[in-house]
Amino acid sequence: MIQLFHVSKCYGRCAALNDVTLRIDKGDCVLLTGPSGAGKTTLLKLIFGAEFPDEGQILVQNRNVARLRASDIPYLRRTMGFVLQDFKLLPHKTVFNNVALPLIIQGASTFDTNRKVKEVLAAVGLGHKYSALTGGLSAGEQQRVCIARALVNTPMILLADEPTGNLDAHLTEEITELFQSIHARGTTVMLATHNNQVVEQMKGRIVQLHSGRVLSDQEGQV
Amino acid sequence: MKRIMYLLGEALSGMRANRTSMMIGVVTTAFTITSFGVFALLYVNLKNMVGEVQDDVQFIVYLDEDLAHDRSQAIKKQLQSESAVASLFGTTQKAALEDFYQQFPSESLLLETLDENPLPASLTVTVRPGFQAPDTISAFVANVKALEGVQYIRYSQEWIDTLSLFVRYFELVALVIGCILALATVTIIANVIRLSFHARREEIEILRLIGAPSHFIAIPYLVEGSLLGMLGGGISLVLLKGGFEFFRLEFNGSGWFHGIDSTLIFFSIQEAVLLVIGGLVLGCGSSLFSVYGVMKSR
Repeated sequence: MIQLFHVSKCYGRCAALNDVTLRIDKGDCVLLTGPSGAGKTTLLKLIFGAEFPDEGQILVQNRNVARLRASDIPYLRRTMGFVLQDFKLLPHKTVFNNVALPLIIQGASTFDTNRKVKEVLAAVGLGHKYSALTGGLSAGEQQRVCIARALVNTPMILLADEPTGNLDAHLTEEITELFQSIHARGTTVMLATHNNQVVEQMKGRIVQLHSGRVLSDQEGQV
Repeated sequence: MKRIMYLLGEALSGMRANRTSMMIGVVTTAFTITSFGVFALLYVNLKNMVGEVQDDVQFIVYLDEDLAHDRSQAIKKQLQSESAVASLFGTTQKAALEDFYQQFPSESLLLETLDENPLPASLTVTVRPGFQAPDTISAFVANVKALEGVQYIRYSQEWIDTLSLFVRYFELVALVIGCILALATVTIIANVIRLSFHARREEIEILRLIGAPSHFIAIPYLVEGSLLGMLGGGISLVLLKGGFEFFRLEFNGSGWFHGIDSTLIFFSIQEAVLLVIGGLVLGCGSSLFSVYGVMKSR
């Protein structure tokens, strides 16, 4: 599903990733851990096509991200969902409109859009809030909207960068459960976190990064 | 359909969100296009005037004072048979004198003191449209001048040519000024759109994140710019029409412009539509200029 071959990325003189080789199969649940500045976000950005590697190759669903043209990047992103720590929602739009956005971009019909958005909102437990403005939701609810938006076009891969970074322990548990259920449905999940609660709860494959290198890569205990 | 509605909605909500800068943009665009419109209107009217004068090219053939009636009739017949002549109108010495008394009653004393009528008989020749080229007329006038019994020919082509040349220069000046004003409009609209763009950069980042292609992100801004330009063009048209009618009402019949004001024309429907479309095209082009960088980025 995702393969990285000797990938390096520098920001100026600072090496964010250094000779990283990694293989993630379909249906895997990978937890990227490590301290701040370890390269977790950079790794996700490279997979997502938001950055180009300085060295090495990245294959996502057999497409070489490093060689993709700028105009092809949006189409790569449509096959993935992306969840961020700061939610990245449009506060002046309703929950429905935020979640429907990926489908509108793809040109889905009104009927399909309504159906899929309602389904996914029900799945994240926000079926009753579809007409609320996202700016008025709690942090946990906003993160659920963000997850719903990432899932609405049924992506093969779900990438999440510190999705529980702004949440308390109780909400972290709820959101982690949501990721578990998404993974259980067969979606490949790649989650960057330095939250031990998430790591313990998810029980996935743990890839530990440090100073841009893979320190360890081990299966989590089920 | 939902996609189109979304893009239009985004454009309109963007305009609402940045209404102050949008208003400033619309007003400045309207004034810039109005400035250009004033030149265009002057040009249209000058061209119309030249056209009218050129359509009615005439010259007056003055005959010798003691010319026999038979000879004057022969000249008249000869001119009438020429294919270049559209119409011919003869004025006898007596008729010329009556005309003079009618047109200049206060000067009549001047001629009354003379024993003889000093005004010559004349033939006013109107040239057919196909023979109005300067060279053709000059050659024709030279031929008429060579006829026996012709004393003098008054020919107005020189000032028509000068007027035509002036119009051509004016056209060039209007073009240069139009280009400068168009550049000013592009700069104004491009900056308004850039402001709108910066105000929504987080939204753009989100759109990129969820797989929106560059054109999807750019379209609302292009629509915004086009609407801004079109509104500016529309307002400028209203301002021009208002100014034109005011000018006509204030100066019509005042005699300040020697009757020229009664021949003034406003833009035709096509030209007026073209002015508004021009605003739209300028607006769209300016937005394109503004969002070009975004189209290229990841």
